[in-house]
Amino acid sequence: MKKRTLLVCLILVACTALWAGGKAEATAAAGAKANLTVSWWGNQQRNEITQNVIDSFMEANPNVVIDGQFNEWADYWNKLATSAAGNALPDVIQMDYKYINQYETNGLLLDLAPYIKDGTLDLSNIPESVSSVATEGDKVYGMMIATTAPALLYNKNLLDSIGITVKDHMSIDEFITIAREVYKKTGIKTNIDYGDSENYLDYYMRSKGHILYTDGGLGVPSAQEFVPFFRIYEEGIKEGWMVSPSIFVERVLRSVEQDPLVYGSSNDARSWCAFFWANQIPATQKAANAEKFEVGVTNWPSDNHKLSNYLKPSQFMVISSKSKNPREAVQFLNYWLNSETAGSYLLCERGVPVSSKVGEHIAPMLDEINQKVVKYINTVVAPKSSPVNPPSPIAANEASRLLGSLREQVCYGKITAEQAAQQFFTEANKILAK
Amino acid sequence: MQHTTTSPGLSAKKFFYRDDVAGIIFSLPFIIGFFMFIIVPMIMSLGYSLSEYNILSPARFIGLKNYIKIFTDDPLFYKSIAVTFYYALVSVPLRLAFALLVAMMLKQTTKATGLYRAVYYLPSIIGGSVAVSILWKRMFASDGVLNRLLAVIGIQTDFAWLGSTHTAIWVLIILSVWQFGSSMLIFLASLKQIPVTLYEASWVDGAGKWKQFTRITLPLLTPTIFFNLVMQMIHGFLAFTQCYIITQGKPLNSTLFYMVYTYRQSFEYFNAGYAAALAWLMLIIIGLITSLLFLTKRFWVFEGEE
Repeated sequence: MKKRTLLVCLILVACTALWAGGKAEATAAAGAKANLTVSWWGNQQRNEITQNVIDSFMEANPNVVIDGQFNEWADYWNKLATSAAGNALPDVIQMDYKYINQYETNGLLLDLAPYIKDGTLDLSNIPESVSSVATEGDKVYGMMIATTAPALLYNKNLLDSIGITVKDHMSIDEFITIAREVYKKTGIKTNIDYGDSENYLDYYMRSKGHILYTDGGLGVPSAQEFVPFFRIYEEGIKEGWMVSPSIFVERVLRSVEQDPLVYGSSNDARSWCAFFWANQIPATQKAANAEKFEVGVTNWPSDNHKLSNYLKPSQFMVISSKSKNPREAVQFLNYWLNSETAGSYLLCERGVPVSSKVGEHIAPMLDEINQKVVKYINTVVAPKSSPVNPPSPIAANEASRLLGSLREQVCYGKITAEQAAQQFFTEANKILAK
Repeated sequence: MQHTTTSPGLSAKKFFYRDDVAGIIFSLPFIIGFFMFIIVPMIMSLGYSLSEYNILSPARFIGLKNYIKIFTDDPLFYKSIAVTFYYALVSVPLRLAFALLVAMMLKQTTKATGLYRAVYYLPSIIGGSVAVSILWKRMFASDGVLNRLLAVIGIQTDFAWLGSTHTAIWVLIILSVWQFGSSMLIFLASLKQIPVTLYEASWVDGAGKWKQFTRITLPLLTPTIFFNLVMQMIHGFLAFTQCYIITQGKPLNSTLFYMVYTYRQSFEYFNAGYAAALAWLMLIIIGLITSLLFLTKRFWVFEGEE
């Protein structure tokens, strides 16, 4: 009796397996669907927007099935590198200026030139200066999809309540004066781009006419040049108006929702400003709504705004050179760039769209917040700016991690600004020389 | 059913009925898995450790340069070794001590003992997971559960436990010690195996609870303690998830576990060859420490019958 029941069960299992397998084969034969994976980094708001774009593309192209993958910024790059190692890169990849060089020099990106020539990728509404950013000779290895710029976002309500008006193109001294006053009058501190990123240092060096990371070494001639930068942190901690680094251990760095501007349990853990990018205004305002304040926008402080400010390729889209469906992938990219439907979903969450046609189409649709993004980029940054730096070399990640570590030590009071400057100069040069 | 083990039958059927052949066939899934997922990657990793490899392009042989660099040009290597050793050498004995203590308490069976055992065992199953690590991070945040509880008993604080170099590592140690449940169950089983007659005899001779513990219980438990010590030490050195999720090595690298550093070298700096060398070095270190423990075995571990 026992043996018979076992036998019956096994036969049932085998039947189910055959039936399921047969079904899968049937669907595969019925419609030769192209499968694409698209990956991007972002927060909840961006994920919803992007999924809408993907869904509308799939509706218009029923033979393509898209699987969207997303992560927060911090995890995105590890995952991408691991996927590259495992030969499992997504087909369409959202890419950043910091990393695009790395992927290109290792032959992981598809050349888009043939698709541009045969018209699959339509660049007629995109200015040449934009479409040629990710090119090497005749090879077009990526497409810039949006423009953004460095933007200092701040708590407008707070500053209004203590009578401070922020004007555009602040100098560093003016910025520090505001920081001191905010701390004195409200107890809220300041966060100056704390973390492992070199964004503000890079901006600062531009104002002195240097490019921070160049192939083979730092573009800054001496360690002395770094001292004023580290000194800002040293003084900030000593005088008390800078946030303590200990608040960051508990948070996910570079996440909009956990930035001290919008999140923190006490005044000590809050900042009145955040060193963000213009396209992050919508997400920041959404988080700020819970805190009931309006987000104001201006430039990052600098002593020479014409040199510091720049229009940044907000993100690129690249296609894996090993994609099994390159044509469909390029079609998706084309849709992203040129479709007005897509544009109406994306608005300015990633930045100002690169296609002038899309830009015109969405201009009346923009709500106040998205209009802020466009207005800031077009009227405050564009007139007083200079070209963006060339893409960072590959070893820049390690150098930035070192920068973060030194900044941490200065903020904890373990080393002086001079020591940090010297150490960064020697070590970063060694790292970049590899 | 006949099967012969002596005459190697000429027919295929007889061949497959042989004990040793049947044994190998049944173990084949494991052998294949072991080979494909452990042996082959290990050899590949050894190869990478002798080369310069950035994941995105083929590896380039450079001999022992990675290993030399580890010892001569990498202060973070020494820092992470120190942190990892501290973590392992503090958390493991603490965990075993707790495990033994609670096992002793749960030795006498009451109605609720079953429940207690399950409750204490639960952390060790779920403890190593990402979810618990995220939970732990929130608990010790400046506005987290711990500070709120302290407020209830009158200590007002918003100290950032994870923000100080002195306390951050202890948050991780406590997470590890909290997972003492599995060791506790093993100790319980061993405790039950100690013959009651030994205790009775010693009681007749006038031995008190403490003497009973140190003269009977502990010595007879030493094989279990030794086993747990070795296994847990190895796990301690390889700890990764907790550090990666909770602190990422901050603040100031005071919680930089060796494996997190290796991961970072490989996937964030794209120095995968160097990271492979780091990994092999850890293998050698663990091997050395385990051998050391085995060497001391005859001095303190009770073997066999008296």
